[in-house]
Amino acid sequence: MVDTKYIGINFNYYRPETLKEVLKRLQEKGSRILAGGTDLLVRIKTETEKPAIIVEITGVKELHILEMRNELILGALVKLYEIEKNDSIKNTYPSLHEAVKSIGGTQIRNMATLTGNLCNASPGADSAPPLITFGAQVEIKNLSKKGEIVNRIILLEDFFKGPGKTVLEPGDILTRIIVPEPDKNTGSAFKKLSRVNLDISKISCAVFLERDGNIIKSIKIAVGAAAAIPVRAFYTEEALTGTIFNMNKMQAALNLIRDDISPVTDVRSTAEYRRSVAPVLVRDALGLAWKRAGGDALL
Amino acid sequence: MRIPISIMVNGKNYNLQVKPNELLLNVLRENFSLSGAKYGCGIGECGACTVLLNGRAVLSCLTLAVSANGQEITTIEGLSDGNKLHPLQESFIEEGAIQCGFCTPGMILSAKALIDEKPEPLNSEIKEAIRGNVCRCTGYISIITAIKAGAKK
Ligand code: FES
Ligand code: FES
Repeated sequence: MVDTKYIGINFNYYRPETLKEVLKRLQEKGSRILAGGTDLLVRIKTETEKPAIIVEITGVKELHILEMRNELILGALVKLYEIEKNDSIKNTYPSLHEAVKSIGGTQIRNMATLTGNLCNASPGADSAPPLITFGAQVEIKNLSKKGEIVNRIILLEDFFKGPGKTVLEPGDILTRIIVPEPDKNTGSAFKKLSRVNLDISKISCAVFLERDGNIIKSIKIAVGAAAAIPVRAFYTEEALTGTIFNMNKMQAALNLIRDDISPVTDVRSTAEYRRSVAPVLVRDALGLAWKRAGGDALL
Repeated sequence: MRIPISIMVNGKNYNLQVKPNELLLNVLRENFSLSGAKYGCGIGECGACTVLLNGRAVLSCLTLAVSANGQEITTIEGLSDGNKLHPLQESFIEEGAIQCGFCTPGMILSAKALIDEKPEPLNSEIKEAIRGNVCRCTGYISIITAIKAGAKK
């Protein structure tokens, strides 16, 4: 057993105040970004990771941005509690709010950043499914050979590559998350199953839909902890798109979720369990999202 | 590598030098002899190491001392006013919300952060606020009662 009382390894520490300096430091071998610390320090203590250089980014002002005009901009340093306490986010992006609220205890949410939750790329990262359904993008920066800052923006949906793996290369930093403004007549919801409240998900699901009268005009469903990465439920989405919302007649479509996911058995749950509860979870999230889109959920 | 930092601990400013890999928890316990914050799990699961950083409850076992540079830290030792206990400390004693006491400093600090923000917390808000603090003795009921009573004082 490793001793988690002390940090057993030595590293150098820097806290630059500009993004450019951060990016320069990130070019050094063995460097790692420190933001909230709730994941990184656990990994260092358990010796899953042994960085030679820690680059704390909290000194970079622009990464603290939290702005909601048309779209929602969440800088890399926005902490979970800031999202939890923000009423505009709660009203406009309820599924994101629900997901963030369900992560960890108060102290963790006071420390951890939303971006950190994504970058650690746990298949069960609760914030990923809602952001994916909203069509969120992430802005990634690095330094060119000439030493200039280069920018790229990709869909969050294309960001994850496997458990703990993302498209981020050494030298990259995710600087902000950009979430489009939902259209009128839309609704979203997030549901998860865990051993106890606030625990890590066995399985989670986010739904974002657009309602046209009693018809589901369009729908996006994303599932967490049910595959190597958070996944879209394309079969289920397709089957539900353009149909009349009626809980009693949607079961066959909802069952397609079992083909959309590829769960494994791990410490938190079994593949069989995940497969059998998935339709129930989607059903609950769908009902709630429909209600929030102004629909009659009792149909 | 040693890094100079200046931190405010329980209302007083200090300048010191720390190594990059030193944890706030150990600096408080060893350099400052403030042993209220406890080492329980070391990995963010138990909340025994909770302190307030600029008024918010955080885990000192997952905070580098260097990261606390320029910030304000409150530990359980900073709550009483001389010999006069903080209302939450009083109510924890009165309600029998302390058994072994290992979780108590963290519990009280989480509770303080809550009532500073919400002077009259609901039961559900209290439960939410101390969800990250594990107690293996009391069963939590007396703790919730104590926090309610402390908030009213
Ligand atoms: S010792 Fe910090 S959370 Fe357990
Ligand atoms: S009183 Fe013993 S752990 Fe809470």
